[in-house]
Amino acid sequence: MIRRLLVANRGEIALRIIRACRELGIETVAVYSEADRRAPHVAAADRAVGIGPAAAAESYLSIPRILDAARASGADALHPGYGFLAENPAFAAACEQAGVIFVGPPSQVLAQMGSKIGARRLMQTAGVPVVPGETPEDQSDDELRRAVDRVGLPAVVKASAGGGGKGMRLVRRAEEIADAIQAARREAVAAFGDGTLYVERLVERPRHVEVQVFADGHGQVVHLFERECSVQRRHQKIIEESPSPALTPALREQMTGAAVQAARAAGYRNAGTIEFLIEGTGNDARFYFLEMNTRLQVEHPVTEQVTGVDLVRAQLVVASGEPLPWPQSALTQRGHAIEARIYAEDPSHGFMPQAGRLLLYREPRLPGVRIDSGVVEGGDVSIYYDPMIAKVIATGETRESATARLIAALRDYPILGIRTNVPLLLRILEHSRFQAGDIDTGFLDGEGAALAEALDIETPPWVRAALAADDEPSHQPPATSHQSLDAWDPWRQLRDWRG
Amino acid sequence: MSSPFSVTRIADGTYRVETDRQSETVYVAGPPANRWAFWNGHVFRDTRAAEAAAAHAARPRTAVVQSLTAPMPATVIKVLVAPGATVKKGDTVIILEAMKMELPIRAPADATVMAVHCREGELVQPDAPLIELT
Repeated sequence: MIRRLLVANRGEIALRIIRACRELGIETVAVYSEADRRAPHVAAADRAVGIGPAAAAESYLSIPRILDAARASGADALHPGYGFLAENPAFAAACEQAGVIFVGPPSQVLAQMGSKIGARRLMQTAGVPVVPGETPEDQSDDELRRAVDRVGLPAVVKASAGGGGKGMRLVRRAEEIADAIQAARREAVAAFGDGTLYVERLVERPRHVEVQVFADGHGQVVHLFERECSVQRRHQKIIEESPSPALTPALREQMTGAAVQAARAAGYRNAGTIEFLIEGTGNDARFYFLEMNTRLQVEHPVTEQVTGVDLVRAQLVVASGEPLPWPQSALTQRGHAIEARIYAEDPSHGFMPQAGRLLLYREPRLPGVRIDSGVVEGGDVSIYYDPMIAKVIATGETRESATARLIAALRDYPILGIRTNVPLLLRILEHSRFQAGDIDTGFLDGEGAALAEALDIETPPWVRAALAADDEPSHQPPATSHQSLDAWDPWRQLRDWRG
Repeated sequence: MSSPFSVTRIADGTYRVETDRQSETVYVAGPPANRWAFWNGHVFRDTRAAEAAAAHAARPRTAVVQSLTAPMPATVIKVLVAPGATVKKGDTVIILEAMKMELPIRAPADATVMAVHCREGELVQPDAPLIELT
């Protein structure tokens, strides 16, 4: 078993990994940039190593600095989390060469599946359906333009190394092609260090449904059912749930089967996700392989809640060389789980990322509600990293009860000092299309775009009253409240009693 | 100043606001110039600060030169215009990047570029003028 694990990440996922290690008795080593010196993940780990300046390129994305930290701290394993270097084959290879267990698939699998082009080819040969498209060998603007012409409009220009909607541009009209290629390539180089692009036909009004797979080093491959992730803004997932309201049992059977087939074809090991697009509804629906995510997903808690397993723990067990803790027959989907991602962003002003101090931050405690977060009251949300600050996962017996719990949690989750997308999340969860389970990936950028507008309501009088009370310099309750103060303050009651 | 509400501070930044028929929990934080409140999933900025800002914004502009500023700390990844260039309303003049996202800065009206005050690769602070238009 792994003895000491370096967590090559920050924020909520670093904390999630540290907690799983603690349960297994594995020592943890955190790494941090100068901006994260006082971050919660640093305090939570058994030890912590500084790895450089705030800019991710010089810290969390620096392979030499992270490997130096692993060597210096005597770590025998490394968990990459998601984002940063999680799907970087050179990083996994460097770990393998340094004798450090990389908690994830082998580097050659990362290389093959990390190239969207390579992954598509592999899936085609494995008999998994893919969206029509092509990748020019010649990556010049002219050749990419011709590829768009051949695939036909509307089309999507995507970074081969991409994910999370970065390095991806939609082209509806011919005159948009040149800008789309430039922007996609620029973002791809900035985010992934690789500007290779490919072109795909746009599937109109698709749903995004992905299947969690898990493979060990002993030939066992299982799936842990699906996650519905169609609530997206510009290809960034916002709300995820399991089961998907779009799947019939027959479709679920086909898709999970295809996902296991895909993982086998890839020679996969550890936790992975096969993303599919679904076109159409009911048993007539068709599904296409979109990409494989060769890492733990942001939305993994949704699967944990409905299957009752600990995916991070299983990752550590499998990375240690042990067999998967569960056979397929032991895995079931029970109840319903929905996750909402809280982002530091202002939906009413173009979703501008927000940075600043969390003046007040209180997580709700409610039955059936799990919060995975990486921030604390008084902490700073910086401009340097992803603006996601927390995930709220609600579980219930039915989709309705899980939704109701999630709404209750978000209404009881004060975050002050920076704007967040919570008001937008509430509007989506209360929208009739969401409640009917009828959302496609274009909803928030189209019909639902107006949900992001005019989110502020007029300040109600009771809020004004609280603001006025807070003006009192001593922070003592104001005189007007003596009636209820007596009920709340035992010292006052005691004084009255003595007097 | 009579108020129908009785307000009790029940924890740091947490107030119970009650009438005979109603009880609400309101969270308040921040200094007077940057005060925030939360109630039932809604966030409120102290309106007095907002009113002051609105009054500031409504002051007549005496200069015809307009500067465009960064909305938040960001890195300049592309400067698309040079002094003397003419731009149309909506044209992207500068592309910033923050939190891994591109933020295009667009011309608010047809104008001529008077000066460019930033370079590609530079980290810029909010409210620092990036470019001047006339």
